[in-house]
Amino acid sequence: MSRPGDSRFLRRNIGPVILFVCGAAVIPAFLFQRSVVVKLVQVIVFAVLATAAGKKIKPVYFLVMVTSITFFNVLSPLGRVLIQIGPFPVTETALVSGVVKGLTIVGLVFISLFSIRPDLRLPGRMGGMIGRVFFYFERIIEGKRRKLEPRRLIASIDEILEEIFEPGVPEAEAKATIIKTTRLGYLIAFAIPVVNWVLLLPFFATIGAV
Amino acid sequence: MRRERSDIIAFMGALCLFFSTIEYLFPKPVPFFRLGLANLPVLLTLGFFKPRETLLLVALKVLGQGLINGTLASYVFLFSVAGSFTSALAMITVSRAFGSRITLVGVSVFGAITSNIVQIILSVTFIFGMTAWVIAPVFMVLGSVSGVLVGLFAERFREQSVWLRRVESTYVATG
Repeated sequence: MSRPGDSRFLRRNIGPVILFVCGAAVIPAFLFQRSVVVKLVQVIVFAVLATAAGKKIKPVYFLVMVTSITFFNVLSPLGRVLIQIGPFPVTETALVSGVVKGLTIVGLVFISLFSIRPDLRLPGRMGGMIGRVFFYFERIIEGKRRKLEPRRLIASIDEILEEIFEPGVPEAEAKATIIKTTRLGYLIAFAIPVVNWVLLLPFFATIGAV
Repeated sequence: MRRERSDIIAFMGALCLFFSTIEYLFPKPVPFFRLGLANLPVLLTLGFFKPRETLLLVALKVLGQGLINGTLASYVFLFSVAGSFTSALAMITVSRAFGSRITLVGVSVFGAITSNIVQIILSVTFIFGMTAWVIAPVFMVLGSVSGVLVGLFAERFREQSVWLRRVESTYVATG
């Protein structure tokens, strides 16, 4: 069994459907969360989980994203003025709403990153077609290891394509590797949504008080 | 025969995913900007896929990208669906309306501009707010440039690829 520090820990211990359900159960708890601090912590945890699922996170990209969303929100002043930068007043409500919006969007991406993976089989005819797409995708990736020559780029792409897909000739079906959920995996997949919903209790208490 | 046609659609879907991973390796001039390499197979098959087959290919492309990148449950997926389908509809429409009088460069630019307009509208409405319209011209210019580049490559590939000619002759005959 892999340790929690392994880069593909979630992938090895939790099956794709259980992980998908886990992610789906977390989304409402994350969306309803009003505290900026809790939301920030959730986003960081989701980023760690995405890494544990084997995904590469580019922190700068997501920082730029939150910053730019906040920036454009601040351009429409709303609420108490915190500071004045030249002609632009930075207002409290606009700033907080910008940060919350930015964190929400980035958090949803991280939830999606840790809970969705290529071996998740979708039902129906479309699911079958997607399975076929991944089968060919793997063959193309294998073919890519052969040489692509920049000087005769199209000819070399052609040679790889000829090898992988001969028009009109049916291919063998793809074999899927099935990953079973371990006991630790079930525990983690259960704990992640539970913790996120528990963090919402103060919000429900506020509604009760109203 | 139907199986063969669905097979080439699945293979083109896989090519879209391949180009999408290639694109991931290029540095982005500005955040959120995409070159649109994954649209190459869509462009190349416009000539011999029926409109519903092109739309199926686009569906496979966005679903596959959502699963591989793990963005299926995020706003990225919605943007991708909206941008890809409107772009595909625009490309189908112009390529059918103008036939041989329009090159793949023209078709690609139409697709890129449509996709950009839809994505700008979505980002202004749901993410950045009305003030983000100021960056719209930059994205439109970059989108048009990427449309020209992808279109030029598609045009060259269509002229030179023996494999594509074989695919076209096989599947036009079985369609």
